[in-house]
Amino acid sequence: MYYGTVLRRLGGAAVAAVLLSGAAACTVKNSDEPDEQRAAAARPGSGTAELADGSGTKVALVPGGAHPYFQPWKKTGADAEKTYGLGDVVVDETAEWDQQKQNNLLSTLAARGYNAFGVFGVSPTDINTTFSDLKSQGFAVASLGSCPAGPTNKADFCLSTDVELAAYKAAQASIDAMGREGTLVHLTGNNVDANTQLRIKGVEKAVQESGGKVKLLQTITDIDKDLQTAQKAVADLLAAKGQEIDGIVTTAYNPAVAAAEAVKNSGSRAKVVAIDDDAKILDSIKDGSVSATVVQNPAGQAEIGAWALALLQTEQCVMTTPGQVVDSGSFVVTKENVAGYDRDRQAKTDELKKQFADELLSCG
Amino acid sequence: MRTAAVAPDAGTEEPQTPPRTSDRLPFWVNQRLGLLVLTIGLALLFGALRPAFFDARLVLFPLLRDISTLTVVALAQMVVLSVGHMNLAVGRMAAFGALFAGFGYDRLGLPLPLGLLLCLAAGAAIGALTGWIIARTGVGSFVVTLAMDFALLGLVSLAYSALTENAAFTSTPAGLDELRAYSLADICVGPVCGSPAIPQIAQFTVLALIALGFLYSCTRIGRELLLTGANPAAAELSGIPTKRRVVTAHALSGLLAALAGFMAAAGTGTFRASIGDDFMLPSFLGAVLGGTLLTGGVVSVVGALLGTSLVAVIRKGLDLLGVGLESLNIYLGCVLLLALSADRVRNVLSYRKVVRST
Repeated sequence: MYYGTVLRRLGGAAVAAVLLSGAAACTVKNSDEPDEQRAAAARPGSGTAELADGSGTKVALVPGGAHPYFQPWKKTGADAEKTYGLGDVVVDETAEWDQQKQNNLLSTLAARGYNAFGVFGVSPTDINTTFSDLKSQGFAVASLGSCPAGPTNKADFCLSTDVELAAYKAAQASIDAMGREGTLVHLTGNNVDANTQLRIKGVEKAVQESGGKVKLLQTITDIDKDLQTAQKAVADLLAAKGQEIDGIVTTAYNPAVAAAEAVKNSGSRAKVVAIDDDAKILDSIKDGSVSATVVQNPAGQAEIGAWALALLQTEQCVMTTPGQVVDSGSFVVTKENVAGYDRDRQAKTDELKKQFADELLSCG
Repeated sequence: MRTAAVAPDAGTEEPQTPPRTSDRLPFWVNQRLGLLVLTIGLALLFGALRPAFFDARLVLFPLLRDISTLTVVALAQMVVLSVGHMNLAVGRMAAFGALFAGFGYDRLGLPLPLGLLLCLAAGAAIGALTGWIIARTGVGSFVVTLAMDFALLGLVSLAYSALTENAAFTSTPAGLDELRAYSLADICVGPVCGSPAIPQIAQFTVLALIALGFLYSCTRIGRELLLTGANPAAAELSGIPTKRRVVTAHALSGLLAALAGFMAAAGTGTFRASIGDDFMLPSFLGAVLGGTLLTGGVVSVVGALLGTSLVAVIRKGLDLLGVGLESLNIYLGCVLLLALSADRVRNVLSYRKVVRST
């Protein structure tokens, strides 16, 4: 009986502790306080976008989860720290693609003293809530690599690939490679993700423009989880419908690598258009087994993101239009331009910096 | 608040232990006490290493909001564990409930409480259906809930794709943002306000804890659930409607999973298909760390809270120390292993002490 009584008391005590700990007198509010004042204080003037002193700015670049896409962020972040004399630039991510875990990581980074955040939101439909929370606490926030779903962006700015446009370009490249007729298959990522829906729209748009000559045979989603999943899906696809397929357009990393390998090994006549510039994909472009790839600009996102965040965090500049969405660029790379595409990408990054300095930022 | 259908330590202690021995175990053997001490100790350690650990708004508030949601997830698993079953579909049931809440708010324009009720009803219904299939067919809960997990994965994704443009219900009712962002600091009696570290959303967790504590310790249904888990044949022979209790447990699990789904959606902002994706492991971790037996018959309601808190505190502390992604899970695994080993060592020591004294 004694044991049971102790247990009951302890149980009651724990619940009571949770309830009572809230009773501590305090007047600090957790609720969102609108942070419109800073935006309202925008003073378009003759100031310069040359960062005066970024030593007090600690930038955290936070990917949505582990993915090869974010590899360039690490090097570019470290370079930006040196180039602009920032206090710190860290790239930190969660193991799982989970919005709640990303939110927790962001608040932990804030507690560790980071005051400017470049975030690739896990859930495009939820990330505005996260941005509002961060903004309400006075941090500079950029949406990098992916923009919030819908017309509103509550971060200071969004610098990202226009995913619908990139998918459209990829589908167009596929259609060109197919000889502008035949059947096309689209391989992509998580179906219940707003960006995937945009990619599907982009591909459908290009197919519609072919005037019925190109038929979209199938859109296969949810195969970007890992390479094995993608390899299995592509093998199944080629086994079942290999003879019918003239082109494969991929708008996610793992399906792209899997499709490049499978088409090469099976000797299928399907023309593959991949995404990103993984070494395997670039080799496949060089040997002709992949027709083209659509390359994005993650390094530019990290470099321009860190620099602009420092300008905003130090209050040297404000956004002319808060929440501005900027395309970081996407480039179709074929056998012809595979050697020199990085120059185009660097040129785009330089152009972005100029665009921010001249138009998007008001520095006073 | 650990409740057992048999002697409290049956199944975890040496089989030769006389039943009355457990009554004489010293108080420090108590697993919940150990967890509480360990959690507080670790929190103090992390606080000493990084004073920011006690930052009410940036650390404690999100930490407690996380603990609130995951405790409800652990309770959803604990309820089915009490009848010796398991619920592998706990995450999808959360997504299923959240789907109804999102639909209610977005399409039917329901106010906050009615959407929550719809969410809970949907969760309870899908849980009851699962329980009914198990009870009716006699197929193991592992198989049935695994099948239900797959079925709901497809169903929920299809529903979101068909009903929404961005695969999420983005319109939210009045009050949801406040529920997410407000703490007890927003509740003031005269000049005195509550702590900014305690999220208001924790009210659901506290209610669930109290309700389940009452169910298992004070009601006949609670006892029947535990007896069904401890020995289904004996329970059946004693006149307990075991099949009905199985349905009850699964319905309750579905309801709690749906509540957790609602809390997760409120926490991030929208009702979407990926809610609950990561619920399954924490559900077992919280419940089992807290002292609930996988074999059924023994539950610990407060243990689920403490088990979940321990894991969350370790994770947050390591995050604050800047432990990298690769190392974090290794450290987490090591600390949890130590926590469980310490519990075992305590039990063995106390057992020896009791044997010596008899």
